[in-house]
Amino acid sequence: MSLDLLWVEKYRPKRIVDVLGNEEAKAAFVAWFKAKRRTKKAILLYGPPGVGKTTLVNAAAAEFGFRVIEMNASDTRSEKAITAVAAPATSFVALDTFSSDIKGSILFLDEVDGITGTEDRGGVSAIIKIVENTRVPVVMAANDPDVDKLRPLKKVCMLVPFYQVRVPLIIATLQRICQKEGVKAYFEALEEIAQNSRGDVRSAINDLQSLAERSGTLTLQDTAMLTYRNRDMGMDETLKGYFSAKSLQEASTLLSRSSVDYDELLMTVGDNLPMRYTNPADLAAAYDFVSQADMYRGRIGTENWGLLKYFYNSLAQAAAISPGTYQSFKFIHPPIRIITLFWSKGKRTMLDGICGKIGGHCHVSRKNAKENFIPFLKLMLTRQKAAEAIAWLELAPEEVDFLAKMIKF
Amino acid sequence: MTVNEEAVMWVEKYRPKTLDEVVDLNDIVQSLKSFIRNPKTMPHLLLAGIPGTGKTTVALCIAHELFGPSWKTFTLELNASDERGIDTVRDRVKDFSRYSRAAFGNVPFALIILDESDQMTGAAQTALRRIMETSSRTSRFILICNQSGKIIEPIQSRCAVFRFSKLDRKAMIDHLCYIAGKEKLKLSPEAAERIVDYAEGDLRHAINSLQAAAAYKDGVVDEKTVSLVLGEASPVQVQLMIKKALYGDFMEARKIMYDLMGSLGFSGADIVRQMNRELYKISTLTPEQKADLTNIIGEYDYRLTQGANSDIQLSALLAQFAKIGKAAGETT
Repeated sequence: MSLDLLWVEKYRPKRIVDVLGNEEAKAAFVAWFKAKRRTKKAILLYGPPGVGKTTLVNAAAAEFGFRVIEMNASDTRSEKAITAVAAPATSFVALDTFSSDIKGSILFLDEVDGITGTEDRGGVSAIIKIVENTRVPVVMAANDPDVDKLRPLKKVCMLVPFYQVRVPLIIATLQRICQKEGVKAYFEALEEIAQNSRGDVRSAINDLQSLAERSGTLTLQDTAMLTYRNRDMGMDETLKGYFSAKSLQEASTLLSRSSVDYDELLMTVGDNLPMRYTNPADLAAAYDFVSQADMYRGRIGTENWGLLKYFYNSLAQAAAISPGTYQSFKFIHPPIRIITLFWSKGKRTMLDGICGKIGGHCHVSRKNAKENFIPFLKLMLTRQKAAEAIAWLELAPEEVDFLAKMIKF
Repeated sequence: MTVNEEAVMWVEKYRPKTLDEVVDLNDIVQSLKSFIRNPKTMPHLLLAGIPGTGKTTVALCIAHELFGPSWKTFTLELNASDERGIDTVRDRVKDFSRYSRAAFGNVPFALIILDESDQMTGAAQTALRRIMETSSRTSRFILICNQSGKIIEPIQSRCAVFRFSKLDRKAMIDHLCYIAGKEKLKLSPEAAERIVDYAEGDLRHAINSLQAAAAYKDGVVDEKTVSLVLGEASPVQVQLMIKKALYGDFMEARKIMYDLMGSLGFSGADIVRQMNRELYKISTLTPEQKADLTNIIGEYDYRLTQGANSDIQLSALLAQFAKIGKAAGETT
């Protein structure tokens, strides 16, 4: 599909007035853009995807006769890269300014929240430097302005929030497109598409296009598959589909659709596995895969997200050990670890603290204290012969209570 | 023998202060005493051997004999298993060697005792090797470890290595009797033998057992009490968890696992280590089965270090046990 066949591109507003909704944000942006002396040299437009941030910038530039120099997340935005592109554009008045219809440039950094910590090293500080020295307007757009790394940016920018576009506006746009494209569509169908888009005009238009290519007249029924595709699949639905999957393929497709948090999914699958597989050999095989998934999770840590596909693959394998044996059961959820609130770091720190004190007095490591002293100390405690030892080890009352609770183990 | 009257735990109270008092280590003690007589000749030391054989005691004795009562001022005692990062070790060691340049009497150096040094990573050891070189004029190291093989060659070559083997049965029994005498305990010979058998050459374990047993009956420790203590001091719940898993009650086994981790704060690694130890005490398993299970434990011990959720890894381990237990049950 070439670009001009994509309706989102074909019908992208060319003028500021045609940009849907967000009138306050538009006014604020235009006022800033037109101002002779700007209080802030940069502006940050933020809000959910598909509400017109990029469109507005391009439309405004076109209307006022500015050239847009754009960098988005697909470009590397390390300090070097940003400076290389932006510095010349922002520090000189470009030559083509002298031609009749172009009045200057604006630097547009799209998706600034996508600047990553490692690959785009120094990116944020490079932007700040550019904003400080710039002679041209700098416009930035982001979905989530609250990411930590953007905090320094927010100080040098004027902040303009964008909100979801209201459903009636989206419906009207869809109707207009249908008219131009000669698509017959029931109002209910368009309403469903608009509702489903959650104020994201881009996705609404994309959905409309994909549905319209399927059938001549768009009915509410046609939108049913769309609803399935986009709706968030909750934990219950995910688990049900996952555990009843008839093949590896089905399980992996389902996981790719689910929007459940992967950590919670991993824990919950682990918790529920014994109910799914009652045969010990099956259970062991399934747990082996879950254990592998957990290892991938461990290796992912906070940055190797490229490994996530292997994580899901292992998890899917665990669902397909013996497809024929599925019988519905009641899911354990939320995860046991979370239900049994006592899974707190506090407990471990308490034990570690006690062992540290033993270690200090008896010249052993905490690990050694845990294995070779705690069991005997516990016994002395049951016989009420530990008072002296407790005093000598300088154990606090709550630590003694903790030991007393351990006695049954 | 000098007794540390302040200490309440007997392992400390009866820990020897001088090399002469050390139990059953004659050869090592003789070599070390020559260093004490002429401290200038003392090299870095590497003490290697199984737990409870006197390595830490010997190191502390050296400190006592070199520096006298104020030994703590001139000695830095670190446990590599507790001080996780090399940075801590490095910073503290560096600071200390700088600060202690003021020599004591005719001892021209400060002493750094690094316990469980085989727990250090290769990188940490490499860093330590540099420190040993740069501070060799101002400090001496005593490295203590269970396996000298885990200490990198360059460090080993810089140290005089002393190997500590299992303590002699008789020496251990004698020492227990000595403590019993001091504590005015009647320790039956059978009880002493039982403690020593169970301790497998680990004097620390033996003394702790004796002290716990002494808490049961006033003034008397007999074989019955000792059996009771050793039984109760072992991780009963871990044993139960293994048995439940092996005999098909996976859910119950997992519940115990969550109790151990949740309410008691044992880490996954703690539990795996204890499982491995307790496995050998289960009499209904054949040696082959035990070997298979140990193999599986080893695999999951590794997976724990890789994974993100130790409860998931332990559940998976228990599931493996359940599978093997079932298979074994069907063949017999």
